[in-house]
Amino acid sequence: MTREEVAARVVGVTAQLFAMKPSDIKESDQFTVDLGADSLKSIELVAAYEDEFGLSVKEEEALKVQNVGDAIDFFHRLLK
Amino acid sequence: MPSGNLSEQHISQLERQGCSADDWRLVTIASGSDLSRINDVHFSGTVSVGNPSGTRTVDGVELPCGLSHATIADCTIGNHVRIANVGSVVAGYLIEDGVVIQDVGSLSVAPGTPFGNGIEIEAINEGGGRGIRIISDLTSQAAYLQGALRHNPEFVKKLSSLIDTKVSAAKTEKGVIGKDARVLHCGSIQNVMIGPAAFIHGAQSLREGTIASCVEHPTEIGEGVQATSFIVAEGARIDNSVILDKVFVGQGVKMGKGFSAENSLFFANCEAFHGEAVAVFAGPYTVTHHKSTLLIAGMFSFYNAGSGTNQSNHMYKLGPVHQGLLERGCKTGSFSYLLLESHIPAFSVVIGKHFTNINIPNLPFSYIHEEQGVSKVIPGMNLFSVGTVRDGEKWPKRDNRKGPVKRDLIVFDVFSPYTVEKMRRGRDELLALSESVPKEKAFITYGGLQLNRLLLKKGAKYYSLAIKRYLNAKVTDRLKESLTRERDWKRAVASLIPSVALTHSAEWTDIAGLLMPRDRLGEIEQHVINGRIATYDQLLATFQSSYDQYPELEWRYLYDTFLKEYGIRPDGMTMDQALKAIDEWEQASSSLHGMILEDSKKEFASFARIGYGIDQQEQDRVKDFEAVRGTAETNGVVQKLANEGAAIPRQRAEFESLVASFSTT
Repeated sequence: MTREEVAARVVGVTAQLFAMKPSDIKESDQFTVDLGADSLKSIELVAAYEDEFGLSVKEEEALKVQNVGDAIDFFHRLLK
Repeated sequence: MPSGNLSEQHISQLERQGCSADDWRLVTIASGSDLSRINDVHFSGTVSVGNPSGTRTVDGVELPCGLSHATIADCTIGNHVRIANVGSVVAGYLIEDGVVIQDVGSLSVAPGTPFGNGIEIEAINEGGGRGIRIISDLTSQAAYLQGALRHNPEFVKKLSSLIDTKVSAAKTEKGVIGKDARVLHCGSIQNVMIGPAAFIHGAQSLREGTIASCVEHPTEIGEGVQATSFIVAEGARIDNSVILDKVFVGQGVKMGKGFSAENSLFFANCEAFHGEAVAVFAGPYTVTHHKSTLLIAGMFSFYNAGSGTNQSNHMYKLGPVHQGLLERGCKTGSFSYLLLESHIPAFSVVIGKHFTNINIPNLPFSYIHEEQGVSKVIPGMNLFSVGTVRDGEKWPKRDNRKGPVKRDLIVFDVFSPYTVEKMRRGRDELLALSESVPKEKAFITYGGLQLNRLLLKKGAKYYSLAIKRYLNAKVTDRLKESLTRERDWKRAVASLIPSVALTHSAEWTDIAGLLMPRDRLGEIEQHVINGRIATYDQLLATFQSSYDQYPELEWRYLYDTFLKEYGIRPDGMTMDQALKAIDEWEQASSSLHGMILEDSKKEFASFARIGYGIDQQEQDRVKDFEAVRGTAETNGVVQKLANEGAAIPRQRAEFESLVASFSTT
């Protein structure tokens, strides 16, 4: 899967969870500061990404991800 | 001067010093006493006075012992006692050596009073039906039996008769003010037993109660306290206008700042300030510090109530019949509300207001939160909260009890057969649901809460990690111990056979701090019914025995559960299986540890700096934050976690090396 394909799906999942338009989400958006994710939302977000890509990720690694771009890179790496 | 017979000369001297008596023949003063130390005292009834020599310290000033400006009725007074300025009367007391009573309105006992023993506290259920009778050596376990086990009327009756015996024994003709106790600047004290070294100062009104105390851990009752029908255990401190009505206060409890409670019990190391408690069974380490916090009709332990916490159900039709159970280790956030009845699982966090009856006992370590009025649960999320780690470490360190007898038996373990078995059940339920819930369904309703379908597998995964870590840590630890003792693998492994038998080793219960197999609790019930436990002290001894056996009982659980989870009997474990166990432990530990570490670092993230460096540039904001909060790199808790994480591979290597040493012998 190309990075662009991963990016489209990460942005799609993120937009759905935060009830936003995909076009309003930028790669630089931080989950906490910009999108307003708290610890509870972070768990749901990781679960939603896992569901989207059919993967089970290491939580301790996933929780280090700070922004949308990092999440795209994280899943792009895993899906290579 | 012969004791028991004051001479005319002595009586004359006492009368010249302003003393009088209903009948001087009933007054005795220890021979050789300095009578000049007895002034302006009226003796009523039979009064015996010890030697008033020496001094006592009052408000920081050393003052002479003796009796002055007081009416004393039917009292036996020891040596080196100071009684001064009693407004009304000191009556009906055995006052032991070294006691100070000064500036007290009245201090009296009616013959035959039980001093609060036998008072029934209507806790747990506000509508009653779970009455717990308090006695001066009540333990959280004995209270739990009375309040929580109502299913067997025969047991209830027999248990009640054990308490009856204690209550009868507590009734005496005289009250006691124990050695070196101090009662200063108080209002009215009526029918109150006061233990050795107790310090009562400025209390407004104390009626029908016992203030147990010991020299190792004196009990303190301070300014403005009003208490009726109460028992306070050793080492408790109650001050600043606390109001108690039908309340038991356990060892090492702290209460103050206007807290009020009725029909409630507080066991070891509870802390209660500002708020209110009604019909509460506060097991060990229940903490409520803030105003507007109402704890009502519930059972708690190791609980932290945030400001404005409230539980109630005023939609009832048959009276206030509700009750709630928050298992050990729960926290309720600021202004959280729980509709009772509810059953909140162990070590869970409640955030927001919940107008649904929650019942999720098999989802411990969960976050229960509210989103736009909908109550939701994230199973297992509190497993990787740094707060849970900190709580588990702080409780044993904060055991405030200094007396020789620690009445409430407490197993502090966060991970135990009790919580791990619940996680196993929770994991299996979540996995089963994840298989059955269709993908199109975003949410399911579970125990009154909305549960995101995506979190079914996630919660099961968190529980699996914690179960793996617990089982493999305990089994490899035990094996390590055994391998260190024995130089033969088979003998070392064979010694892992449990020494105790349990019919249902997976069934555990939390008896207000004491974790024990339900089999054992069942035995206690039977023994109370059949008379093998015939006294209250025998009941306590049985609990003590279960407490002492906890490591072996836990091992029984571990042995059986390891077999269920991995199909391996620890006492027949091969070296390869042992190495697999340490591998499982390392993976689970590293993963959970990494999550906890990440959680702890959030305390230093950019959003945590909001409000720091007011009206300053970003660089100075960061500096201001670091000056106050430090950094993740300097914070003691984070660093401790980091060091523990770094130690995990080392522990694995040590274990592998130990196992390898057996393969070469």
